[in-house]
Amino acid sequence: MTAPGRDPVPAPAAKSAQFSSTRRQFLRGLGLVGAASVCPPLTTAATANPANAKPSHPDLEEYGRDPQPVILQINGQTHTVSVAPRDTLLDVLRHQLNLTGTKSICEHGACGGCSVLWDGRAVPTCLCLAREAAGHEILTVEGIADDPRFAPLIEAFCAHDAAQCGFCIPGFVVRAAELFLQGERMSTEEVQIALSGNLCRCGTHAKIVTAVTAALSAGAIA
Amino acid sequence: MRAPQTFEEVDVFFPDTLDAALIAQADPNRRGRVLAGGTDLMVQWEAGVVPLPPRVISIKHLPVLRQIEENPGMLIIGAGVTHKQLRASPLVRQYLPSLAEAAATIGGEQIQVMGTIGGSVANASPAGDLAPSLMVAEGDVVLASVRGERRVPVTACWTGYRQIDCAPDELIVRFELTKMPAGYCEGWRKLGPRQAQAISKIMGSFRGQLTDGIITDFKVAVGSVAPTCIRLYELEQWLVGKPCDAATCNEAETRARAGVHPIDDIRSTAAYRQWVTGRMIRSFLQTLEVK
Ligand code: FES
Ligand code: FES
Repeated sequence: MTAPGRDPVPAPAAKSAQFSSTRRQFLRGLGLVGAASVCPPLTTAATANPANAKPSHPDLEEYGRDPQPVILQINGQTHTVSVAPRDTLLDVLRHQLNLTGTKSICEHGACGGCSVLWDGRAVPTCLCLAREAAGHEILTVEGIADDPRFAPLIEAFCAHDAAQCGFCIPGFVVRAAELFLQGERMSTEEVQIALSGNLCRCGTHAKIVTAVTAALSAGAIA
Repeated sequence: MRAPQTFEEVDVFFPDTLDAALIAQADPNRRGRVLAGGTDLMVQWEAGVVPLPPRVISIKHLPVLRQIEENPGMLIIGAGVTHKQLRASPLVRQYLPSLAEAAATIGGEQIQVMGTIGGSVANASPAGDLAPSLMVAEGDVVLASVRGERRVPVTACWTGYRQIDCAPDELIVRFELTKMPAGYCEGWRKLGPRQAQAISKIMGSFRGQLTDGIITDFKVAVGSVAPTCIRLYELEQWLVGKPCDAATCNEAETRARAGVHPIDDIRSTAAYRQWVTGRMIRSFLQTLEVK
């Protein structure tokens, strides 16, 4: 998997005065805010020097079941976490790093609620072993929320009232962020297909699709 | 040895090289259940529908398995190539178009980034969506072990329900598939309860050639109608030399229905599958005529 790179991302558009909700309020509504900022992860190494962030593939040479320290790059920060070989990335994000925006819903790869960007591609973390994530750039919904590049996308979710209960929304935001990074304008139908790996039990797909389509076309103009 | 009761009791190995993986697999005491994209195994383990293996060997990260290459007649696809790579690869789209189409209908986008061609074949589900396109392309599954490489024709690699011709010490490393020749066309149809995130009730692929209105070559494979994906060889033979007209379509539809013996299961019924097999053949012949 190759990272799409960050260049094609449009500069954040000026905040529209049309709606008053801020990105933070939006996320607070989703119960996303706080985890990363309030409870610091167990170990957070400095991120300034990319050389330090040298992605080392886990070098266990044999079978094992005991936790081992693994270096993960998450939301631009380097975390050293103690990971058992069978721990999923979802477990580690939620239970060790307190990044609970990534939702555990079906744990079958069926709903997309646990998606994160893995080198720029949305993947279901319930099916990923955390050890395999070493050496890859992981961006969770918290990282997306804190990154001003994605502000127009998140504002579109608010403007189009895309959330009902909101439980599925982090997964949709992550997948939409992947599309947003690709910087392509897409038709409603193309967006529907692109979001087909995400399910919303409240059935607010129509509004989600509208929001994402709008954000992508605005993004493409910027 | 007692079977593990929980994931915590499973030993996992992340080999750094293919050789390290093969050496481990050669030793019955170190051999692990092979984990690639995890879209089948992780779900089966999570759901408790299969016993947990004592050891798991994870090979998805090995770059050597992730290449797509070509030679004049064949496309060479690494076992770790994902469905997303298959659907996006210009080589696959040009030379194995029904395989690219099939890959695009598996799961949703997130699943396509995870799941691999080798994993799909090794899982050997009769509902494996890549199987029909592999069967009509023909070519070899290449297996490796410390003993060397072994080739199995892709049309013969599934030996029974969820059974594959792969020794315990072997790993599927690549597929060498015959490119679609010029003047041929391919098609893919899948029926599931919805367009995405659905396991097929029935699906199929064909590769064929029409010369001046006469069917000069035709291969068709159907999945989810038997314990493994099957080629309809008798129907293929009957079709070659026939004009691609309404009478042929009608007769082919009837013959196709008579040629499959599906079962009722959680996803569909035997009667429906049989009926759809006929309609699918008709649709393939119509595609051949139009293209
Ligand atoms: S929780 Fe991972 S896809 Fe549903
Ligand atoms: S808004 Fe409730 S599940 Fe999507």
